[in-house]
Amino acid sequence: MSRDTSTNRSTSDEGTAVNDTPARRGVSRRSLLTGGLGMVGAGVVGATVLQPQLASAGLNDPRPADVAAAKAGLTDGRTLHLAATDGWVGMPTDAPARAPFFPDALAPSPFNTYVFGFRDVTHLHAADGSISDANQAKLDALKGHAQISAPLLDFDEMTRVRVSLTNLGLAIRPDLTDGHTVHWHGFDNAIPLFDGVPELSVAVPIGHTFTYYYQPRDAGTYMYHCHFEDVEHVQMGMTGMLFVRPKQNGTTKNHGGKTFSRFAYNDGDGSTGYHREFAFMLTELWSEAHYRDAHIQVNDWTDYAPSFWLLNGRAYPDTLADNGSLDAGSGDFAVPADERLRYQPISSLVEANKGDRVLLRLSNLGYQQHAMTLDGLPMRVVAKDAGLLRNGGTDLSFLTNTVEIGPGESRDVLVDTDTEGEFLLYDRNFSFLTNGGDSTQYGGQMTKVVVHPAGTLAPQSRANENPHA
Amino acid sequence: MRTKLPRVISRVGGAVLAGAVVALMAATPPAAQAVTDGVECETPTSASDTAESYVLTAKSGYVFTPDGNSIFMWGYAGSTGSFQLPGPTLCVTAGRTVSVTLKNTLPDPVSIVFPGQQQVTADGQADAANLAASPPTLAKPAARTSGTVTYTFVPDKPGTYLYESGTDQRKQVQMGLFGGLIVRPANYASGGADAHTAYGTAATRFGEGQEYLHILSEVDPAVHLAVEKNRVVNWAGYRPRYFMINGRSMPDTLAPNRASYLPAQPYSAFVHVQPFDPTANPDPAIIRYVNVGTVTYPFHPHGNSQRVVGRDGRPLQDGAADLSYDKFLVNVGPGQTVDTLFSWTDVDMFDPIDNSLAEFVPNQADVMTTGDTFYSQSPYLGSYADPIQGVTSYNVCGEYYHVAHSHALQQSTNYGAAMGGMMTLIRIDPPSALQTVDKPCN
Repeated sequence: MSRDTSTNRSTSDEGTAVNDTPARRGVSRRSLLTGGLGMVGAGVVGATVLQPQLASAGLNDPRPADVAAAKAGLTDGRTLHLAATDGWVGMPTDAPARAPFFPDALAPSPFNTYVFGFRDVTHLHAADGSISDANQAKLDALKGHAQISAPLLDFDEMTRVRVSLTNLGLAIRPDLTDGHTVHWHGFDNAIPLFDGVPELSVAVPIGHTFTYYYQPRDAGTYMYHCHFEDVEHVQMGMTGMLFVRPKQNGTTKNHGGKTFSRFAYNDGDGSTGYHREFAFMLTELWSEAHYRDAHIQVNDWTDYAPSFWLLNGRAYPDTLADNGSLDAGSGDFAVPADERLRYQPISSLVEANKGDRVLLRLSNLGYQQHAMTLDGLPMRVVAKDAGLLRNGGTDLSFLTNTVEIGPGESRDVLVDTDTEGEFLLYDRNFSFLTNGGDSTQYGGQMTKVVVHPAGTLAPQSRANENPHA
Repeated sequence: MRTKLPRVISRVGGAVLAGAVVALMAATPPAAQAVTDGVECETPTSASDTAESYVLTAKSGYVFTPDGNSIFMWGYAGSTGSFQLPGPTLCVTAGRTVSVTLKNTLPDPVSIVFPGQQQVTADGQADAANLAASPPTLAKPAARTSGTVTYTFVPDKPGTYLYESGTDQRKQVQMGLFGGLIVRPANYASGGADAHTAYGTAATRFGEGQEYLHILSEVDPAVHLAVEKNRVVNWAGYRPRYFMINGRSMPDTLAPNRASYLPAQPYSAFVHVQPFDPTANPDPAIIRYVNVGTVTYPFHPHGNSQRVVGRDGRPLQDGAADLSYDKFLVNVGPGQTVDTLFSWTDVDMFDPIDNSLAEFVPNQADVMTTGDTFYSQSPYLGSYADPIQGVTSYNVCGEYYHVAHSHALQQSTNYGAAMGGMMTLIRIDPPSALQTVDKPCN
């Protein structure tokens, strides 16, 4: 099988190509919508008269009336390359053993839990998109080195986004010829080819690459995950977060006595402005299911009973450890201080300067309801499911100290860090603050917000980064 | 663990999905023919401008699950007299007196409560809970085996509600004694401002034939077996294995209303819409979610966000202030109802004429397609290509399909087998002008 990472087409001419979609129609969509078939003016008049009605019902933003308008304003955006494979990660080693499921005896030291996951391999490409033989070898070597949570992705609104997915196969399960997909969870008005549901479009077989294409029009906090046998692949770790940054970014707005140039949404008034942003993927990890996948056993998913509760793929106190970093030589992650966390590279530690406004992007791809509490600092929920909580002049945002978030939901939360000190951010369901049932100490979905004196931290260059000046 | 859709289908001999597809292929635009999906209202036994009456019979029967299981249930039968799950959908009108006569054939006393309705009477008396009764009951029950009771109320608020047993509810609601209640605005039928609205407001208007009811439920077959065999139910071991929309699990959810091969599960959960068009299809579809289960169901429609416009029989409106909001995940709590509107809008207008997605269209040999697929083999709405050999396509005319399912993903399984459970599909047809003669959508 040839591996072509630049295009969805095969490099061979084998198989049945379907690119020859014949012009079977008497009229093109373009001519139809710009006045063909006797509908002269209907699209335009209808659009101006009826779309505001739709918008007032809040159904959609005003949408383009024809193909030219649909394409207007789009600029070239990011091109990413993800790889999907399996691997090993480390839950806290002081969690009680639960033989034979945890720790998994198959796991190479210092790891203990089998996972599936994504890797971002964009850095292995040259600027022109090509990939050298040496870097292709590094890419291939990532088979068996998945990460959880998946790489944080961010795109700009109204850009052309390409995300290629290569299926590297599973190192531990060569018998398992599962495909993988990328499902952009929450993408509005998706077309099936890029929605990642195998039964409704296509999946990526082992050794192949498929490119997903998006033209994101709606800023906000989303998720992505594999939708191939979703109950299994999502639980196994193929879950990550994805943001669409608003066109308003780069403008300067004042709100609440603070000045912002970065925003969660196109709010028009700076009310979703922030200085620092932190993303939290909430999941649960059921050790029995991970063990069974590694050991070629079947799982009854309706027995779901998680063992670990995770923020960005880590359980407290691992949530506080630094972000991982890449090793340019190997193309893999550098070995961190605690090697066990090498493939859980996303920190959940929140640090800010006094006076900052911090954006917490919360999402849940577990199967349980969660409720994140922040002690000592009020939270303002400004969006749910990538939808700004505002209708015209009606502000639906609200202050709270606990943000509930169901499976598949997202929240955008703003916190003014006007008080120095340390504050705990944790799941108010206390039974989720344990690692493997250990009742003697805190674990699970907990982290800290540390507010330093002004000037302690440099500006962030990416989400979840804590750059000390 | 690796159950793909085709295997689910093969377990039922292909009949369910194949039947659904045949029906889809036979379907014509909603206005032109009998409804094959969407809300099917029960016909009242009598109706006038001021009152309407229904007769429901509590009885037992069996439902089928896609993995071949057959489960003993209790349910409210409607005018057909046949056991069904869920109970008949009662569509009543605000301001008119509603009478529901319950006839009981079950071995336990059974009642009906109408959460959200006020001043419900039972046999002409103010209805009240009797927690000292055995079993305890929230409403006057019809005696076991042969009792009858008539409940009467005047619904004052339009919206989406449920009705369910008020007696020994943990057992009886789990056994299937529930149904949907839709209260229409007062002048719904008169063609005025109330017509095709959920709450008599322009903001809750929906398209004709574009009304869907999703009653979400769960089944622990061990409970049902115990009741069938007259054994003690082990509630401490309660663990639901099947998750349903309108009493069906995926892929049965796709079959049309009154599919002959699902005799006791008459209501489809298939959603079939046309893309938004300012002239041809300006109004959205409405989905009325009803949760009769024990946990919050996080229901995720792919393809587009939905606008939450009502909750528990109340519009999300406060005077002039519009409190509605967009969600890509509709969380429905136990006993709750949520009304959403959605339109699928062809925002990108990817066009086969300029073939702007040419670089992304895969060679079929380089991607995996499930053995049974709903994919048209083309990214463009209204385009179609034959699948490679060995793949059965259910695609009719280049239409799009999106999945909608519980995102507590163990609930999107049939006893643990993926691509089942609380899941359905949303079908989006190409606009009629883009349909072709050789591949018509109907």
